[in-house]
Amino acid sequence: MAVSVLSIPKRIHKMLANLRTGIVLLILVVIASALGTFILQRSATDADKLARAYSPEALRWLDRLGLTDVFHSWWFMTLLALVSLAIVFVSLDRFPNAWRFYARPYRKTDSHFRSALPTKVELPIRNAEAGLNAAERALKKLRWPVERISYRNEPSLYSERHRFSVMAVYVIHASLLLIFCGGIIDGIFGYSGFMSLERGQQVNQIELRNGKKKTIPFSIKCYGAGQENYADGSPKKWWSKLAVVQDGKEIQTKEIVVNDPLVHQGLRFYQASFGTTGNLDGLKLLATPENGTGREITVRMNQPFELDANTTVTLAEYIPDFFIRDNQVFKRSDNPDNPAFRLQVKNKATGEDAKLWLFPAYGETAQGQKTNYSFSYRDMQMGYFTGLEVSHEPGQWLVWAGCLLMGAGLFVAFYMVHTRLWIVAVPDAKGKLVLWIGGQANKNRDRFEQKFSEVVDAIRAELESTSAGASRAHQEEAELTLATK
Amino acid sequence: MSTRARVVQMEQPSATGGNALLVLVGLSVVFLLIVALLGAAKGGGSLFSESNLLYVALIFYAGAGALYMGFGVTGTPRYVKFASTSTAIGLAANTLAVAHRWYLSGRPPFASIYEMLLSFVWAVAVLTLVAEKKFGVKIIGSITMPLAVVCVILMQLLPSEVRPLVPALQSTWLHVHVTLAMLSYAACALSCALAMMFLIQDDLETETFLAWTTAMVSAIYIGIVATRFEKWGGLSVTGWDAKNKTDIFLGRGMRLFVTVPDLGWLFVLAAIGAIVPLALYFLGRVRKEESFFAIANKAVFISILLQIVVLAAFVLRVRDASYPSPDLEGLYPTSLAASPFLLGGMVTGIFASLLYLMLLWRRADLQGLLPSAATLDRVTYKTICIAFPLLTGMIAAGAYWANRTWGSYWSWDPKETWAAITWLIYAGYLHMRITRGWRGRRAAYFAILGFGVVIFTFLGVTYLLPGLHAYA
Repeated sequence: MAVSVLSIPKRIHKMLANLRTGIVLLILVVIASALGTFILQRSATDADKLARAYSPEALRWLDRLGLTDVFHSWWFMTLLALVSLAIVFVSLDRFPNAWRFYARPYRKTDSHFRSALPTKVELPIRNAEAGLNAAERALKKLRWPVERISYRNEPSLYSERHRFSVMAVYVIHASLLLIFCGGIIDGIFGYSGFMSLERGQQVNQIELRNGKKKTIPFSIKCYGAGQENYADGSPKKWWSKLAVVQDGKEIQTKEIVVNDPLVHQGLRFYQASFGTTGNLDGLKLLATPENGTGREITVRMNQPFELDANTTVTLAEYIPDFFIRDNQVFKRSDNPDNPAFRLQVKNKATGEDAKLWLFPAYGETAQGQKTNYSFSYRDMQMGYFTGLEVSHEPGQWLVWAGCLLMGAGLFVAFYMVHTRLWIVAVPDAKGKLVLWIGGQANKNRDRFEQKFSEVVDAIRAELESTSAGASRAHQEEAELTLATK
Repeated sequence: MSTRARVVQMEQPSATGGNALLVLVGLSVVFLLIVALLGAAKGGGSLFSESNLLYVALIFYAGAGALYMGFGVTGTPRYVKFASTSTAIGLAANTLAVAHRWYLSGRPPFASIYEMLLSFVWAVAVLTLVAEKKFGVKIIGSITMPLAVVCVILMQLLPSEVRPLVPALQSTWLHVHVTLAMLSYAACALSCALAMMFLIQDDLETETFLAWTTAMVSAIYIGIVATRFEKWGGLSVTGWDAKNKTDIFLGRGMRLFVTVPDLGWLFVLAAIGAIVPLALYFLGRVRKEESFFAIANKAVFISILLQIVVLAAFVLRVRDASYPSPDLEGLYPTSLAASPFLLGGMVTGIFASLLYLMLLWRRADLQGLLPSAATLDRVTYKTICIAFPLLTGMIAAGAYWANRTWGSYWSWDPKETWAAITWLIYAGYLHMRITRGWRGRRAAYFAILGFGVVIFTFLGVTYLLPGLHAYA
């Protein structure tokens, strides 16, 4: 009994380490993901759209099976976890062999190996040492690294390029795991939410996706936000000027735009939406004193504006859409297209407290009790809010590291070829001395054949020039001896 | 040696009749160019406008496609020479169109489905020439050039004015992401074409091609009938607001459909026309009678005629006319521009059927002209080795950009999810090939499936499964 219990993890390991299991898991992930795009997902659709699309019975079943939220369901997570495990197990199973191959390359040129290698050439030579020397020179000219090997007193040359490329596949799989790790960390520790700010407002709470509030250790203050349009009226830019406030001090300010968030303590604030609040932000007036020239001022709700040492003006009331009955001003609707403003003008010296009404749709100038200033309407600025998407993704750096690593791994795996050359001087089948040249590449074999024949040609040329040189030297030596005789 | 001998043999008979197609294609190209020139002169405006350049590209791509196909049918090597010249001229015009748009908008043309297609066609043309010159795969133009033609026709219908970039697209990552996407998609297209050629060289039975072709055409028409057939034989198409050059919307994301009376029946007929040869094929398989295949091939011919009739009827009825809508009172205008995907589907069906006919009639000659099965198999694999890292880079760049714009690097948006599915399918292909030694047919089917998913990700998701990735 104990044996069978022990063997269960072993069996699971064996199953997951099988490439076929891996492929089946991949197919399941593909099917599940495709389902997740065809079936409406709760996270991306309104509840009533879902209710319209499916009958209540069908919806209940879809919910129960997790099909309305595939990508966050337990079974999809399990599937991804199994894929990761399969990657780990397959890699662990294959790694020792690959490492052995990598760490101890086969440099020997025994007869068994020579007969098994498919790509090989034999060049006739006279002298073993001279032949190997010529080959070494030729390889160095072609920038191949050369190693001299002596196996059982048989000298040979070994040369290889890009041996590390055989390990690239492990780098790729490790990078995939790194990306998964980043995703898991973000799934557990990360959160995202929304924050809405008006000009001047300071907020330290975000509303999470699930509707809960979360307090963050600092607050964000908004100094302004806006939208710029193209000539055709479509939006060109949304911006918000934000500041990070911690312990009453401003630590950082930044104007964020779409594509360029504010980052502080691992929290990122993105420009997500922009709109008007329906409230008045400011009223622009031309204030003209008696016998003087006017100037433009902006008054805000209930904030007295000093016109001179004695006089202040305050915007006391704002009605977006007004009507008058019984000499009283009433509000009709919230559309700010027929506004009314009540101004309060106080004079410290005379003690007068005047009330004026301004109805821009019916006349530029404010009417009412007499004051030493007259006010005419210039412009009204509506209040706006900026919507910030807030996210905390501590695992994202692992994801980016994984992406870079995968890029490097793929490049090496696909475009760097592990090529090897073995060269040894041996007697051929007829017993004549030849330079045996063998080569192998782990991919792109047709291209390697070309490269191999280039190497062989170079060695042949080198051999010929050496033997020509040698014979010339020999001849000269002979002539010399003749001459001395 | 034997292939070479065969090539030489077949050149003899075609040498005499070989000029007919050249003259024909040459004349039509010249004729279309003159018509275009007259139109441009009459309409005033710049001769080198983007639409004119694109029209020139279309003419030359179509000419090249005809010549490549002619080469496939007759095996005249001269056709290829002219075909690649024609492709090169088309490519030059295409490049100028891209440059023109780039200059006008001050940014690379990657921001809408129209601009993406513009770049995609460009990449396809470049790769066709590369495959021909570098790898000697001469016949590939007979698949890629019709694809380019379909894309350029689609582009004529899509809204093409230069729109300023919405804030989310104002990023360098747009260029990185889309360049990688277009390059990898073009490489996938090439690998698919190569895999099909491999299947031809691998002596896959012509009847199997019959089955796949008719299954595809049937799927197109059944799909159209299933989604667009209305009561009493009407066909519903999207309404078109000619002034603003957009679909008519009832509400957010809800398009207004109008019903073209009686057109639906024609589509049913075309669907039946495509199903008949498929059914005959299965009957022949079940009963093991070869004679059914011969009838099926005749039925394909009828199916092509039906498809052309349906296309013509569709173009005539839908082109700038007004029809009633089931949702609202009154008549609403529609236009060909409102139904680019229906049109694209129909044209694809016709091309696929014609390619099948080419295979049916000239299979032996084709096999003499194509590189060997082993070469095609290897080149298919190499193309995917290029496509896969590009695909990976595209997804990574997209994730990084999404993280800067949407606040999250992965949101399981349909486009993202399907990009991941594409990636997984090609990853599966690579695993099977490298560790399991998959070669030949299984690998070729895998490569074709991969491109099918790419096309779904590129075009299908945009129209069927809208999400965050709403730009293209």
